[in-house]
Amino acid sequence: MQCKELEAVLEVEGLSPLPPDAREHLARCSSCQDLLADLSALVVAAKRIPAEVTPPDRMWISIRAQLEAEGIICDTASVIVSPAPWWRGFFPFFRPRALALVGAGLFLFLGSVYLVEHRGGNKVATNPPPAQTQPNQPPTRNAPPPAQANSAAARKTPPQQTQSARVLKPVPPRPSSEDLLPSPSENAYLGDSAAVLNRTENSLPRRELADNAAVDASLRQNLRTLNEFIAECEARLKQDPQDQLTREYLNMAYQQKAELLTAMMDSERSEH
Amino acid sequence: MLPQQKMIRGLVSVLSAGLFFCTASEALAATTEQQERHFTVKDSPIVIINNIVNGRIEVKSWKNSEVVVTSTSVPGKVAIEVEQVGDRIDINASSLVPSSQPHEVEANFQLLVPEQTELQLRTQTGVILVEQVNGDMKLQSVAGDVHLKEVSGYIIVKTTSGSLVCTLCSGKLDFNSISGGAQVLQPSLTNVNLMTTTGNILYDGDFIRTGLYTMNSGRGLVEVRFSGTDSFDLNAQTYRGTVDNQAKDYLKPESHGGKRGSKYAQSLFGTVGQGYAKVELSSYSGTIRILKRN
Repeated sequence: MQCKELEAVLEVEGLSPLPPDAREHLARCSSCQDLLADLSALVVAAKRIPAEVTPPDRMWISIRAQLEAEGIICDTASVIVSPAPWWRGFFPFFRPRALALVGAGLFLFLGSVYLVEHRGGNKVATNPPPAQTQPNQPPTRNAPPPAQANSAAARKTPPQQTQSARVLKPVPPRPSSEDLLPSPSENAYLGDSAAVLNRTENSLPRRELADNAAVDASLRQNLRTLNEFIAECEARLKQDPQDQLTREYLNMAYQQKAELLTAMMDSERSEH
Repeated sequence: MLPQQKMIRGLVSVLSAGLFFCTASEALAATTEQQERHFTVKDSPIVIINNIVNGRIEVKSWKNSEVVVTSTSVPGKVAIEVEQVGDRIDINASSLVPSSQPHEVEANFQLLVPEQTELQLRTQTGVILVEQVNGDMKLQSVAGDVHLKEVSGYIIVKTTSGSLVCTLCSGKLDFNSISGGAQVLQPSLTNVNLMTTTGNILYDGDFIRTGLYTMNSGRGLVEVRFSGTDSFDLNAQTYRGTVDNQAKDYLKPESHGGKRGSKYAQSLFGTVGQGYAKVELSSYSGTIRILKRN
């Protein structure tokens, strides 16, 4: 028997009495002896772990506060428990934190769509619309006739590329990134992010978030600061949607706002 | 003295004594407790402090392979849990009771760690101070300032309104804040990314060759003080602010990347020395100031 075979036997049969050939191998193989010793030590250690570990009081307080904050339990009066309707299961998806997460996910998805759209511009040229491939257009003076051009291209390129070479047309150079108009997806994700963030902001409680006036004041003051700055950037973008610098600052402000709202919700929960 | 007057005086005395004992017992209950714990570590430890109450966190290094955690807090008000798993030390401080007294929900930490230590520190309002520690670190605070001195590694600092002062730091620095400012003094940083919405930024030090330095402030001042031996390409842009170039003698027209234009009236492109490092400064409506330090 080899070491790997012994390992397989141990995996299947555990530490129960081993077959004779396994015992024979074990007697002369020091590495397998070590393996068996480690496994035995693990089993002994696992048996020493108590069945139940008493969590600290703080854990219970925190869990209770969390459940109360989410409205799952109520300690004011005894409540008659009735079976919850099936649609209640969807409630957690509409909580502010979940909405914020959905917003962040949407933000990333639309951002990636935007990047794909803008970086994959050359690939789009390989499938031009039919109007560009019509042979009725008069050839330019210096360009060879289509058939000649195709055969020339076929000579120079491998066979699998001739098809795409035939339909390729000169594509006008893309404008620089500074002159790009914001794509619809970019505008959409800015709008969606703003809406999600505003909903989350409106769902924040009016009372003190943390049990600390300084923290609460700082969080709220900075939220106001961000809102003012976002409003300023948005006003500017209405005047000039191509302003890349303003767009970058607006993106950064939205990201900061999302993080700030998360921190505010965390502060609220941790203090209960 | 009338018996009624005697009775009233006695009653007042008893009440006064009761009030005194109540106040004294409350003061006794509010006294802080100090605990010191020692953890032996093998290699480079990672220390995580999640202080969701207020308090100061001070981390300094020493030569021993041991982490010493000294905490002060009001017993019964704040729960401090410390756990060691291998070379990782987790410290959690949380409030046990809702309290209106900020100092009661406070936990202060003083740590001694080996020089090579990774840190993840989070607090609400207290100062975070780290000195002479080498290792990656992530430091988060709401309103507390962050002071770093002679630290190195990949340093991430996030605050809401707290400011950063980074002296003699090396490695990479990433700072993000809404209203906090950043001061980077005498650094040896190869990669710097500073972003604040309303805070000010000051970078006073050398730019290392092949380094990338990005500093953005929405409404604040961005000031860069470089040395005469520095070598970097500069790109400074502001939409509504001003670019205050006090280094015209050192800043040549940009020698790399060809001609560049900007739609912003207030923009500046130039090269200092050979242009080895890349420095990008922007402010939405604040001032950008570039000067050579004496």
